[in-house]
Amino acid sequence: DMALNLTINSSNPPLGALLTAEHVKGSVNLSVEEGKDTMLHVSDKVQFSDVNSITRYLARVAPALGLYGSNMMEQTEVDHWLEFSARRLCGQSDLSSALGDLDKALALRTFLVGHSVTLADLCVWAALKGNGESQAKPNSYPHLCRWFLFLSSQVPFSSVGSKWASKISAIKATEKKQ
Amino acid sequence: ESVFRGTADLDSLLGKDLGALRDIVINASPACPPLCLLVLHALLCQRYQVLSSVHVHSSVSAVPPPLLSCLGPRHIDSHARQHFQLGFTLIWKDVSELQMKFNTQSMCPIEGEANVARFLFRLLGAEPQDPVAATQMDCWIDTAVFQLSEGGSKERAAVLRSLNAALGRSAWLLGQEFSLADIVCACYVLRAGQTTSAPVNVQRWLKSCQNLGHFDCVYPLLQ
Repeated sequence: DMALNLTINSSNPPLGALLTAEHVKGSVNLSVEEGKDTMLHVSDKVQFSDVNSITRYLARVAPALGLYGSNMMEQTEVDHWLEFSARRLCGQSDLSSALGDLDKALALRTFLVGHSVTLADLCVWAALKGNGESQAKPNSYPHLCRWFLFLSSQVPFSSVGSKWASKISAIKATEKKQ
Repeated sequence: ESVFRGTADLDSLLGKDLGALRDIVINASPACPPLCLLVLHALLCQRYQVLSSVHVHSSVSAVPPPLLSCLGPRHIDSHARQHFQLGFTLIWKDVSELQMKFNTQSMCPIEGEANVARFLFRLLGAEPQDPVAATQMDCWIDTAVFQLSEGGSKERAAVLRSLNAALGRSAWLLGQEFSLADIVCACYVLRAGQTTSAPVNVQRWLKSCQNLGHFDCVYPLLQ
Protein backbone atom coordinates (compact mmCIF):
# COMPACT_ATOMS: atom_id res chain seq x y z
CA ASP A 1 0.00 0.00 0.00
CA MET A 2 0.90 3.67 -0.37
CA ALA A 3 3.13 5.21 2.27
CA LEU A 4 1.68 8.06 4.28
CA ASN A 5 3.85 11.01 5.18
CA LEU A 6 3.28 13.24 8.18
CA THR A 7 5.21 16.49 8.25
CA ILE A 8 5.06 18.37 11.51
CA ASN A 9 5.68 22.01 12.27
CA SER A 10 8.62 21.64 14.65
CA SER A 11 8.16 25.11 16.14
CA ASN A 12 4.60 24.19 17.15
CA PRO A 13 4.56 20.38 17.37
CA PRO A 14 1.05 18.89 17.17
CA LEU A 15 1.23 16.45 20.10
CA GLY A 16 -2.14 14.81 19.31
CA ALA A 17 -1.07 13.99 15.75
CA LEU A 18 2.36 12.75 16.92
CA LEU A 19 0.77 10.51 19.55
CA THR A 20 -1.70 9.08 17.05
CA ALA A 21 1.15 8.49 14.59
CA GLU A 22 3.05 6.56 17.30
CA HIS A 23 -0.02 4.45 18.03
CA VAL A 24 -0.65 3.46 14.41
CA LYS A 25 2.94 3.06 13.21
CA GLY A 26 2.93 -0.73 13.63
CA SER A 27 -0.25 -1.03 11.50
CA VAL A 28 0.23 1.72 8.94
CA ASN A 29 3.11 2.55 6.61
CA LEU A 30 3.76 6.04 7.92
CA SER A 31 6.84 8.28 8.00
CA VAL A 32 7.12 11.35 10.21
CA GLU A 33 9.43 14.26 9.50
CA GLU A 34 9.96 17.77 10.78
CA GLY A 35 9.22 20.72 8.56
CA LYS A 36 7.50 24.09 8.45
CA ASP A 37 3.81 23.16 8.35
CA THR A 38 1.85 20.31 9.85
CA MET A 39 0.40 18.19 7.05
CA LEU A 40 -0.56 14.57 6.44
CA HIS A 41 0.16 13.72 2.84
CA VAL A 42 -2.15 10.88 1.74
CA SER A 43 -1.76 11.31 -2.02
CA ASP A 44 -1.12 14.11 -4.47
CA LYS A 45 -4.83 14.89 -4.39
CA VAL A 46 -5.47 14.40 -0.67
CA GLN A 47 -3.80 16.17 2.24
CA PHE A 48 -5.06 16.97 5.72
CA SER A 49 -3.62 19.88 7.66
CA ASP A 50 -5.69 20.25 10.83
CA VAL A 51 -4.92 17.99 13.76
CA ASN A 52 -8.43 16.59 14.18
CA SER A 53 -8.57 15.51 10.52
CA ILE A 54 -5.09 13.99 10.70
CA THR A 55 -5.93 11.96 13.80
CA ARG A 56 -9.33 10.91 12.40
CA TYR A 57 -7.76 9.69 9.18
CA LEU A 58 -4.99 7.76 10.95
CA ALA A 59 -7.55 6.14 13.29
CA ARG A 60 -9.68 5.13 10.29
CA VAL A 61 -6.85 3.48 8.36
CA ALA A 62 -5.95 1.39 11.43
CA PRO A 63 -9.47 0.24 12.41
CA ALA A 64 -8.23 -2.80 14.38
CA LEU A 65 -6.75 -0.47 17.02
CA GLY A 66 -10.20 0.88 17.88
CA LEU A 67 -8.90 4.44 18.24
CA TYR A 68 -12.21 5.82 16.94
CA GLY A 69 -14.28 3.69 19.35
CA SER A 70 -15.93 0.33 18.79
CA ASN A 71 -19.50 1.39 17.92
CA MET A 72 -21.36 4.50 16.78
CA MET A 73 -22.04 5.68 20.32
CA GLU A 74 -18.34 5.56 21.18
CA GLN A 75 -17.53 7.27 17.86
CA THR A 76 -19.84 10.10 18.87
CA GLU A 77 -18.20 10.40 22.27
CA VAL A 78 -14.81 10.58 20.53
CA ASP A 79 -16.15 13.40 18.31
CA HIS A 80 -17.34 15.19 21.44
CA TRP A 81 -13.88 15.06 23.06
CA LEU A 82 -12.07 16.05 19.85
CA GLU A 83 -14.11 19.26 19.69
CA PHE A 84 -13.77 19.69 23.46
CA SER A 85 -9.97 19.59 23.22
CA ALA A 86 -9.88 22.00 20.27
CA ARG A 87 -12.43 24.43 21.69
CA ARG A 88 -12.07 24.35 25.46
CA LEU A 89 -8.48 23.29 26.13
CA CYS A 90 -6.44 24.86 23.32
CA GLY A 91 -5.75 28.58 23.40
CA GLN A 92 -7.71 29.14 26.62
CA SER A 93 -6.05 30.71 29.65
CA ASP A 94 -8.62 29.78 32.32
CA LEU A 95 -9.25 26.06 32.09
CA SER A 96 -11.08 25.58 35.38
CA SER A 97 -14.53 24.79 33.94
CA ALA A 98 -13.07 22.48 31.27
CA LEU A 99 -10.91 20.69 33.84
CA GLY A 100 -13.93 20.35 36.14
CA ASP A 101 -15.95 18.75 33.32
CA LEU A 102 -13.09 16.37 32.55
CA ASP A 103 -12.71 15.39 36.20
CA LYS A 104 -16.42 14.60 36.41
CA ALA A 105 -16.34 12.54 33.21
CA LEU A 106 -13.37 10.51 34.49
CA ALA A 107 -14.79 9.82 37.97
CA LEU A 108 -15.89 6.30 37.01
CA ARG A 109 -13.72 5.72 33.98
CA THR A 110 -10.21 4.51 33.21
CA PHE A 111 -10.34 5.90 29.66
CA LEU A 112 -12.50 8.77 28.38
CA VAL A 113 -14.44 6.51 25.99
CA GLY A 114 -15.10 2.77 26.24
CA HIS A 115 -12.58 0.41 27.78
CA SER A 116 -9.43 1.17 25.86
CA VAL A 117 -7.44 4.11 24.58
CA THR A 118 -9.09 6.24 21.86
CA LEU A 119 -8.46 9.51 20.04
CA ALA A 120 -10.35 11.16 22.90
CA ASP A 121 -7.58 10.23 25.35
CA LEU A 122 -4.84 11.13 22.87
CA CYS A 123 -6.17 14.58 21.97
CA VAL A 124 -7.24 15.62 25.47
CA TRP A 125 -3.96 14.37 26.96
CA ALA A 126 -2.00 16.20 24.24
CA ALA A 127 -3.90 19.44 24.81
CA LEU A 128 -3.25 19.26 28.56
CA LYS A 129 0.40 18.33 28.08
CA GLY A 130 0.84 21.32 25.79
CA ASN A 131 -1.18 23.78 27.82
CA GLY A 132 -2.97 23.07 31.07
CA GLU A 133 -0.81 20.53 32.86
CA SER A 134 0.24 23.03 35.50
CA GLN A 135 -3.38 24.01 36.22
CA ALA A 136 -4.45 20.42 36.85
CA LYS A 137 -3.81 20.25 40.61
CA PRO A 138 -4.41 16.77 42.10
CA ASN A 139 -6.41 18.05 45.08
CA SER A 140 -8.86 19.91 42.81
CA TYR A 141 -9.10 17.33 40.01
CA PRO A 142 -8.27 13.91 41.50
CA HIS A 143 -9.82 11.77 38.72
CA LEU A 144 -8.32 13.84 35.94
CA CYS A 145 -4.87 13.62 37.56
CA ARG A 146 -5.14 9.86 38.04
CA TRP A 147 -6.01 9.46 34.35
CA PHE A 148 -3.31 11.91 33.24
CA LEU A 149 -0.54 10.19 35.24
CA PHE A 150 -1.73 6.73 34.19
CA LEU A 151 -1.43 7.67 30.49
CA SER A 152 1.78 9.66 30.99
CA SER A 153 3.52 6.58 32.38
CA GLN A 154 2.79 4.50 29.28
CA VAL A 155 4.56 4.26 25.95
CA PRO A 156 4.04 6.10 23.59
CA PHE A 157 2.74 8.91 25.86
CA SER A 158 5.99 8.92 27.82
CA SER A 159 8.21 8.96 24.73
CA VAL A 160 6.18 11.60 22.88
CA GLY A 161 6.00 13.61 26.10
CA SER A 162 9.71 13.58 26.75
CA LYS A 163 10.66 14.17 23.13
CA TRP A 164 8.20 16.95 22.26
CA ALA A 165 6.67 18.44 25.37
CA SER A 166 10.07 19.67 26.60
CA LYS A 167 10.45 21.35 23.21
CA ILE A 168 7.07 23.05 23.64
CA SER A 169 7.97 24.42 27.07
CA ALA A 170 11.27 25.71 25.68
CA ILE A 171 9.40 27.47 22.86
CA LYS A 172 6.89 28.93 25.32
CA ALA A 173 9.68 30.20 27.57
CA THR A 174 11.30 31.98 24.61
CA GLU A 175 7.94 33.49 23.59
CA LYS A 176 7.44 34.88 27.10
CA LYS A 177 10.87 36.53 27.09
CA GLN A 178 10.17 38.30 23.81
CA GLU B 1 -37.64 8.09 -0.99
CA SER B 2 -34.45 8.84 0.90
CA VAL B 3 -31.27 9.89 -0.88
CA PHE B 4 -29.33 7.53 1.37
CA ARG B 5 -29.35 3.85 0.46
CA GLY B 6 -27.45 2.47 3.44
CA THR B 7 -29.19 -0.36 5.26
CA ALA B 8 -29.48 0.94 8.78
CA ASP B 9 -30.88 -1.29 11.49
CA LEU B 10 -31.19 0.28 14.93
CA ASP B 11 -30.44 -2.95 16.80
CA SER B 12 -27.18 -3.46 14.96
CA LEU B 13 -26.23 0.23 15.29
CA LEU B 14 -27.18 0.78 18.91
CA GLY B 15 -27.23 -2.66 20.47
CA LYS B 16 -30.27 -4.70 21.32
CA ASP B 17 -33.50 -2.86 22.07
CA LEU B 18 -34.32 -3.34 25.74
CA GLY B 19 -37.96 -2.37 25.46
CA ALA B 20 -37.81 1.31 26.36
CA LEU B 21 -38.05 3.90 23.61
CA ARG B 22 -34.63 5.08 22.49
CA ASP B 23 -35.03 8.76 23.13
CA ILE B 24 -32.67 11.39 21.70
CA VAL B 25 -32.97 14.45 23.95
CA ILE B 26 -31.52 17.70 22.61
CA ASN B 27 -31.18 20.94 24.60
CA ALA B 28 -30.83 23.89 22.24
CA SER B 29 -30.90 27.65 22.57
CA PRO B 30 -33.76 29.38 20.69
CA ALA B 31 -31.25 32.14 19.85
CA CYS B 32 -29.39 29.69 17.63
CA PRO B 33 -31.77 27.04 16.20
CA PRO B 34 -29.83 23.91 15.13
CA LEU B 35 -30.87 23.94 11.47
CA CYS B 36 -28.84 20.92 10.40
CA LEU B 37 -30.38 18.78 13.15
CA LEU B 38 -33.82 19.64 11.77
CA VAL B 39 -32.76 18.45 8.31
CA LEU B 40 -31.45 15.22 9.83
CA HIS B 41 -34.66 14.83 11.82
CA ALA B 42 -36.60 14.97 8.54
CA LEU B 43 -34.31 12.31 7.07
CA LEU B 44 -34.67 10.10 10.15
CA CYS B 45 -38.46 10.36 9.85
CA GLN B 46 -38.22 8.90 6.33
CA ARG B 47 -36.29 5.93 7.67
CA TYR B 48 -37.79 5.23 11.10
CA GLN B 49 -40.95 5.66 13.10
CA VAL B 50 -39.94 8.73 15.10
CA LEU B 51 -41.87 10.12 18.06
CA SER B 52 -40.95 13.82 17.87
CA SER B 53 -41.74 16.42 20.48
CA VAL B 54 -40.77 20.01 21.27
CA HIS B 55 -40.68 21.42 24.79
CA VAL B 56 -39.78 24.78 26.29
CA HIS B 57 -37.63 24.77 29.41
CA SER B 58 -38.42 27.21 32.23
CA SER B 59 -35.09 28.99 31.59
CA VAL B 60 -36.57 30.39 28.36
CA SER B 61 -39.54 32.76 28.33
CA ALA B 62 -41.03 33.30 24.87
CA VAL B 63 -40.26 31.06 21.93
CA PRO B 64 -41.41 32.10 18.41
CA PRO B 65 -44.14 29.82 16.97
CA PRO B 66 -41.95 28.45 14.10
CA LEU B 67 -39.61 26.99 16.71
CA LEU B 68 -42.49 25.20 18.42
CA SER B 69 -43.64 23.55 15.20
CA CYS B 70 -40.18 22.88 13.74
CA LEU B 71 -40.48 19.09 14.09
CA GLY B 72 -43.82 18.96 12.30
CA PRO B 73 -47.31 18.34 13.67
CA ARG B 74 -47.81 16.52 16.96
CA HIS B 75 -48.41 12.78 16.61
CA ILE B 76 -51.98 11.59 17.17
CA ASP B 77 -50.88 8.35 18.79
CA SER B 78 -48.03 9.82 20.83
CA HIS B 79 -49.39 8.08 23.94
CA ALA B 80 -48.44 4.72 22.44
CA ARG B 81 -44.68 4.98 22.75
CA GLN B 82 -44.20 1.33 21.76
CA HIS B 83 -45.33 2.17 18.22
CA PHE B 84 -42.15 4.15 17.67
CA GLN B 85 -38.52 3.14 17.04
CA LEU B 86 -36.92 6.41 18.09
CA GLY B 87 -37.80 9.38 20.24
CA PHE B 88 -36.62 12.85 19.18
CA THR B 89 -37.17 15.37 21.97
CA LEU B 90 -36.09 18.94 21.36
CA ILE B 91 -36.03 21.22 24.41
CA TRP B 92 -35.58 24.96 23.90
CA LYS B 93 -33.39 25.88 26.81
CA ASP B 94 -30.98 28.63 27.82
CA VAL B 95 -27.77 26.68 27.11
CA SER B 96 -24.46 28.14 25.95
CA GLU B 97 -23.69 25.04 23.89
CA LEU B 98 -26.11 22.63 22.26
CA GLN B 99 -26.22 19.33 24.12
CA MET B 100 -27.57 15.85 23.40
CA LYS B 101 -28.35 13.21 25.99
CA PHE B 102 -28.84 9.67 24.77
CA ASN B 103 -28.32 6.40 26.60
CA THR B 104 -26.81 8.28 29.53
CA GLN B 105 -25.90 5.03 31.32
CA SER B 106 -23.01 4.47 28.94
CA MET B 107 -22.60 7.66 26.96
CA CYS B 108 -21.42 11.08 28.13
CA PRO B 109 -23.60 14.07 27.16
CA ILE B 110 -22.55 15.15 23.66
CA GLU B 111 -21.84 18.85 23.17
CA GLY B 112 -21.86 20.72 19.88
CA GLU B 113 -24.38 20.80 17.07
CA ALA B 114 -21.95 19.19 14.61
CA ASN B 115 -21.21 16.22 16.86
CA VAL B 116 -24.91 15.57 17.35
CA ALA B 117 -25.30 15.87 13.57
CA ARG B 118 -22.61 13.22 13.12
CA PHE B 119 -24.50 10.94 15.51
CA LEU B 120 -27.84 11.38 13.71
CA PHE B 121 -26.15 10.82 10.35
CA ARG B 122 -24.69 7.52 11.60
CA LEU B 123 -28.24 6.47 12.51
CA LEU B 124 -29.03 6.77 8.81
CA GLY B 125 -26.23 4.30 8.06
CA ALA B 126 -24.92 6.64 5.39
CA GLU B 127 -21.40 7.40 6.58
CA PRO B 128 -18.78 7.01 3.83
CA GLN B 129 -16.84 3.75 4.28
CA ASP B 130 -13.72 5.09 2.60
CA PRO B 131 -11.37 6.71 5.18
CA VAL B 132 -10.49 9.60 2.85
CA ALA B 133 -14.13 10.49 2.10
CA ALA B 134 -15.15 10.09 5.75
CA THR B 135 -12.31 12.38 6.90
CA GLN B 136 -12.98 14.95 4.17
CA MET B 137 -16.58 14.99 5.38
CA ASP B 138 -15.47 15.65 8.96
CA CYS B 139 -13.02 18.28 7.77
CA TRP B 140 -15.79 20.25 5.98
CA ILE B 141 -17.97 19.98 9.08
CA ASP B 142 -15.17 21.32 11.31
CA THR B 143 -14.56 24.14 8.83
CA ALA B 144 -18.23 25.12 9.04
CA VAL B 145 -18.21 25.01 12.83
CA PHE B 146 -14.92 26.73 13.57
CA GLN B 147 -14.62 29.17 10.68
CA LEU B 148 -18.07 29.83 9.26
CA SER B 149 -20.02 29.99 12.47
CA GLU B 150 -17.42 31.37 14.87
CA GLY B 151 -14.90 33.06 12.60
CA GLY B 152 -14.77 36.70 11.58
CA SER B 153 -15.82 38.10 8.20
CA LYS B 154 -12.41 37.35 6.61
CA GLU B 155 -12.57 33.71 7.69
CA ARG B 156 -16.16 33.43 6.45
CA ALA B 157 -15.18 34.83 3.07
CA ALA B 158 -12.29 32.35 2.87
CA VAL B 159 -14.62 29.43 3.59
CA LEU B 160 -17.06 30.61 0.93
CA ARG B 161 -14.18 30.73 -1.56
CA SER B 162 -13.08 27.18 -0.74
CA LEU B 163 -16.69 25.93 -0.88
CA ASN B 164 -17.03 27.64 -4.26
CA ALA B 165 -13.85 26.00 -5.56
CA ALA B 166 -14.90 22.53 -4.35
CA LEU B 167 -18.40 22.96 -5.81
CA GLY B 168 -16.89 24.00 -9.14
CA ARG B 169 -15.33 20.53 -9.36
CA SER B 170 -18.35 18.45 -8.36
CA ALA B 171 -22.05 18.68 -7.57
CA TRP B 172 -21.60 17.96 -3.86
CA LEU B 173 -18.76 18.59 -1.43
CA LEU B 174 -17.57 14.99 -1.46
CA GLY B 175 -18.09 14.47 -5.18
CA GLN B 176 -21.10 12.69 -6.60
CA GLU B 177 -22.66 11.77 -3.25
CA PHE B 178 -24.75 14.11 -1.11
CA SER B 179 -23.48 13.83 2.47
CA LEU B 180 -23.49 15.32 5.93
CA ALA B 181 -20.81 17.78 4.74
CA ASP B 182 -23.45 19.34 2.44
CA ILE B 183 -26.10 19.38 5.15
CA VAL B 184 -23.93 21.05 7.79
CA CYS B 185 -22.15 23.51 5.48
CA ALA B 186 -25.39 24.54 3.72
CA CYS B 187 -27.16 25.13 7.03
CA TYR B 188 -24.28 27.19 8.42
CA VAL B 189 -24.11 29.25 5.20
CA LEU B 190 -27.88 29.82 5.39
CA ARG B 191 -27.63 30.80 9.04
CA ALA B 192 -24.78 33.24 8.33
CA GLY B 193 -27.12 35.02 5.86
CA GLN B 194 -25.98 36.97 2.77
CA THR B 195 -26.72 33.98 0.59
CA THR B 196 -27.65 36.21 -2.34
CA SER B 197 -24.11 37.59 -2.38
CA ALA B 198 -22.54 34.10 -2.13
CA PRO B 199 -20.34 32.92 -5.02
CA VAL B 200 -22.12 31.35 -7.98
CA ASN B 201 -21.31 27.67 -7.32
CA VAL B 202 -22.38 28.06 -3.70
CA GLN B 203 -25.70 29.55 -4.79
CA ARG B 204 -26.30 26.74 -7.28
CA TRP B 205 -25.49 24.17 -4.58
CA LEU B 206 -27.85 25.80 -2.05
CA LYS B 207 -30.56 25.56 -4.73
CA SER B 208 -29.76 21.85 -5.26
CA CYS B 209 -29.98 21.26 -1.51
CA GLN B 210 -33.34 23.03 -1.44
CA ASN B 211 -34.55 20.94 -4.38
CA LEU B 212 -33.94 17.72 -2.45
CA GLY B 213 -36.76 18.75 -0.12
CA HIS B 214 -34.97 17.88 3.11
CA PHE B 215 -34.30 21.54 3.85
CA ASP B 216 -37.99 22.56 3.79
CA CYS B 217 -38.05 22.65 7.59
CA VAL B 218 -35.17 25.14 7.67
CA TYR B 219 -36.56 28.02 5.61
CA PRO B 220 -39.42 29.03 7.94
CA LEU B 221 -36.81 29.57 10.67
CA LEU B 222 -34.61 31.88 8.61
CA GLN B 223 -37.05 34.81 8.52
